[in-house]
Amino acid sequence: MKKRLLALLLACSMVFALAACGGNGQSGTPETTAPETGAPETTAPETGAPEAKTVKVGLICIGDENDQGYTYNFIRGKEAVTETLAAKGINVEWVVKYNIGEDSSCEDANIELAEEGCQLIINNSYGFEPFMLKVAPDYPEIEFISCTNQASWNDGLDNTHNAFANIYEGRYLAGVAAGMKMQELIDNGDITADQAVIGYVGAYSFAEVISGFTAYYLGAKSVCPSVSMKVQFVGSWSDATAEGNAADALCDLGCIMISQHSDNTTPATTAQSKGAFHTGYNNDMIGVAPEASIIGTRIDWSVYFEYAIEAVVNGESFDQDWCHGMDEGAVVMTPLNEDIAAAGTAEKLAEVEEAIRTGALQVFDTATFTVGGEEVTASFALDTDGDFTPDSEEAVFDGAYHESYFQSAPYFALQIDGIEWLNSAF
Amino acid sequence: MHEVKTPLIRLAKRDAMPAWQVWCIRGSSFIAAILLGALIFLVLGNNPISAYGTILSGSLGKSTAIRQTVKIAIPLLGTALAIAPCFKMRFWNIGAEGQITAGAVAASYFALFWADRLPGPALILVMAAAGAVAGGIWALVPAFFKAKWGTNETLFTLMMNYIIIGVVRWLQGGPWEGRPGSQIIPQFDSKAVLPKVLGVHCGWIIVLVLTVVMFIYMKYTKQGYEIAVIGESENTARYAGMNVGAIIMRTMFLSGAISGLVGFIVASGANNTLYDGVAAGVGFTAITVAWLAQLNPFAMIGISALLAVLEKGADTLQTRMNVPASISDIITGIFLFCMLGCEFFINYRLILRGGHKEVTGA
Repeated sequence: MKKRLLALLLACSMVFALAACGGNGQSGTPETTAPETGAPETTAPETGAPEAKTVKVGLICIGDENDQGYTYNFIRGKEAVTETLAAKGINVEWVVKYNIGEDSSCEDANIELAEEGCQLIINNSYGFEPFMLKVAPDYPEIEFISCTNQASWNDGLDNTHNAFANIYEGRYLAGVAAGMKMQELIDNGDITADQAVIGYVGAYSFAEVISGFTAYYLGAKSVCPSVSMKVQFVGSWSDATAEGNAADALCDLGCIMISQHSDNTTPATTAQSKGAFHTGYNNDMIGVAPEASIIGTRIDWSVYFEYAIEAVVNGESFDQDWCHGMDEGAVVMTPLNEDIAAAGTAEKLAEVEEAIRTGALQVFDTATFTVGGEEVTASFALDTDGDFTPDSEEAVFDGAYHESYFQSAPYFALQIDGIEWLNSAF
Repeated sequence: MHEVKTPLIRLAKRDAMPAWQVWCIRGSSFIAAILLGALIFLVLGNNPISAYGTILSGSLGKSTAIRQTVKIAIPLLGTALAIAPCFKMRFWNIGAEGQITAGAVAASYFALFWADRLPGPALILVMAAAGAVAGGIWALVPAFFKAKWGTNETLFTLMMNYIIIGVVRWLQGGPWEGRPGSQIIPQFDSKAVLPKVLGVHCGWIIVLVLTVVMFIYMKYTKQGYEIAVIGESENTARYAGMNVGAIIMRTMFLSGAISGLVGFIVASGANNTLYDGVAAGVGFTAITVAWLAQLNPFAMIGISALLAVLEKGADTLQTRMNVPASISDIITGIFLFCMLGCEFFINYRLILRGGHKEVTGA
């Protein structure tokens, strides 16, 4: 009997807990509403100022801004572009779907946004594209964008688009900052030359990740010739514990510099607790690891959003496959941690950034790396027959491997010398 | 001396209530759920009437919306039908999640590797059969252990879920992976996709047919009767000469097979691919559907439709009114809580210490 009473009380408390949850939700709601669209309840579209153009844009996110990483970076882009376009007299009304899975719920979300009258629908995750492609043919008047994916160039649809940024350029710069720090440690006699080992926490052995850590390694090597790198894959895009454990294991293997292609800040905090240094991705991580985090890099999505949304507003067509980097400011560095960075890092970064921007420096210069002891002279970029093995478009020419040249999604997947894959099961 | 042992509130089993009273309690608990939900909307700063209006128009307002709602209801109804015979037998199969996944894996195998070797309709039939058999086998394992050695079926079926979900993760990153490193299995060939009828994949026809079949099976067949007898008393069944172990295994195989068929429907009809979240919690939600329907197949249609309306409606609510997506879970939770709670008050009554007051209500 007492147990049943307890259960009853528990049930009652659950009801109150539910009500309390709702209360918390309230404080969170303003963050999720579309910013500065005049109408406070945001349900009154198309009635706003007659002279301003209004465009309704849908954004489908795999997470929400609480990840402080991938999706947060999209939300930052969304907010920045809303401001920029407001200044140009374009009123962007956003409809955002958070925490959508890479499954048929993504198809549902695309249908939902299309039915709500969005003129442009942006899908933010790689796995969304196949589901987006099921919806796009039914709504030819709506433009669909799949970020980081690659089907638009040959899916036969005019209203689908892909976009990515040359994030490897930012990785290269972060590598330069990391290399300078290690070279400084060598020059000061704190470590020997062969102790300059980078530990890299990667999500999966996926082209985007491989391209990123290779660029990072080449950046470090350009200023610290004795550097080597170990890569540990965690088998998840976002698993805070596994990422921290991987960073921990890498530190134990003698790595003194940690970087990552994964969504959480645990590699940064682990690096700090182990006395190693760190460079980040997607977000400034100096706040969580002030003694370890040197710099980070991220994509500034507002650049592409501005381009795409403006085209839609003006009724113009826009690129089906868009990819830019530092040339248009689509890849940016997060603030440099001057307290721990090597002397002269800021100047060097500015110099390298300029060289990348002008095209004077190629990140994947084939003279700077070897595969199996030999220089790379040929490698295909695109897969045309759907077997996931690249079979067309030669990526190596003019003395460099041209990443993201034939399509926006990264395709560099070579295992170069000097980078040791600790596991490749993923 | 006063009575030391009387607790503040006691519960007593009720005698059977007249039907009108039962429905009054159910009705009032439904109203209570609506009011509680309204409270949540008020706390969130939304007008409850327009919020409920959005839920209804978002889920049933347009033909596209109705299609989406039906799509959500299909696996719920199918899985509720699958677990009904087990629960009738008092065999607590909470492994529908894994049985759905197992069915989806088997169906996906044929979709991925036999698409160029079989003609379209045959491929679909083979996929359906493979899904059913795989789901059935996945359910048969715990049933066999239960029948032979009396293992705990609740834990066993639950743990079988995690095994098969792990297998799918392995397939996603390993042998069936599409683009290297992507962890994504390619989309099926169009031949392996369930055709659409009235804009929704024809899984809805399959589950509706199953509803009728299951009703007849449970109510009018010898096997259905055996299941009911075992549910009431295993010893009675044994005394009557039934082979309890065999019946348990047979029923579980049937249950798993229907779940596996649902897995096939979801993989082929809705997702057109396989991934580790293919069951998406349906295996657990379906338990609630089955219970609320009191294992009556036709009632399950209504309950799963209601849940689908809530889910789809709450989704639109998020799109139109910018309420957090988790509102869907909260509102659904409130409805389930009130509806399950009222069944409790129908079966039991509260007796307060002191007086002999009886508390009814929701």
